[in-house]
Amino acid sequence: MSNTISTEKTWSGGRSPFNVSYGKLMMWIFLLSDAFTFSSLLVGYGAVRYSYPSPPEFKIEVFENVHHMFEEQGGFIETLQHQGIFSDAHWPSPDLVFNHFPFAHGVHLPLFFVSLMTFILIFSSVTMVLAVEAGQRLAKREVTKYMIYTIIGGFAFLGCQAWEWTMFITEGATLVGNPFGPWHFAALFFLVTGFHGFHVFSGVVLNIVVLVNNLGGTYERRGHYEMIEKAGLYWHFVDLVWVFVFTFFYLI
Amino acid sequence: MSEHKQINYDNYDPITFVPEPDNHGTKALWKTFVLLTVITIVDILLYFWLPTGMPKNITFIVLGVVKAAFIVYVFMHMTYEKTPLKYSIVAPMIFVCYLIMLILIEADFWNFLNH
Repeated sequence: MSNTISTEKTWSGGRSPFNVSYGKLMMWIFLLSDAFTFSSLLVGYGAVRYSYPSPPEFKIEVFENVHHMFEEQGGFIETLQHQGIFSDAHWPSPDLVFNHFPFAHGVHLPLFFVSLMTFILIFSSVTMVLAVEAGQRLAKREVTKYMIYTIIGGFAFLGCQAWEWTMFITEGATLVGNPFGPWHFAALFFLVTGFHGFHVFSGVVLNIVVLVNNLGGTYERRGHYEMIEKAGLYWHFVDLVWVFVFTFFYLI
Repeated sequence: MSEHKQINYDNYDPITFVPEPDNHGTKALWKTFVLLTVITIVDILLYFWLPTGMPKNITFIVLGVVKAAFIVYVFMHMTYEKTPLKYSIVAPMIFVCYLIMLILIEADFWNFLNH
């Protein structure tokens, strides 16, 4: 059989024109459709964000003692530092809303926690791609090791997000209103980070299934570890989406 | 690269066909990891340095696209895929750019109505 690949031969059947397996091609196409879904959500967010004026410049020094204080009845008492910062007339400044860190109550640590979350997700992406690389060398034990790291990273991220949501909800944010500014702010935050968080959760479940299969020797018997690559594509996509969620919700 | 590999297409079955794995080591992966971390830190620093406004937002979006490109091309091994597959997945993103353009014009109009 000749190995010369001409265009004619590539597309005339009897071979895979893209030189990928069926499952991997379908995963790519699924991710493309999912990318459109997330684009729609983020572009919708962008439209609402753009229709409100930006917050006024307001500097609070890092590590300063800052509280978001709230009344029992759902009203909002502003602390001295916060006077005039949050208003329905303009979009809230994300560094003044998301400034909490576990075990550092009342200390102003703007965007520290979300940076940690981003780092966790990027690192779990690296361990995933190391699992893929180990799978290509048919190294079963290494695949197991890196898959476990990836799953731990996934759970760590989900835990961080649960904590973030808890803080946000405790301070009075709901789907229909929040003490920080226009009601769209919290509604879109819950919608988009919730949708992303559910993707992370699905990814963790998928990774656990892959890990169990690997421990059972399914891929060893099959002779290739392509399933790790497919699960990896999904996991990296989740990381990719987080890059944009982070950009739009925490930086802009 | 996969193009130069000899692929055995005897008894080709589209459902079970899996090409030989294409291993490229871990060096590029660690480099990408360092790069992504550095860009994220730069993001945070720029957030506090740059004045509020459209140039700042565009900077963040550009850095986001750079990060996304590195994830897709290195972590998801897009660099090693065949050109037609690359274009099939990356080119449709042009529709997202179109949507962004349309929706920003729309948002500008909402802004005009509200203020």
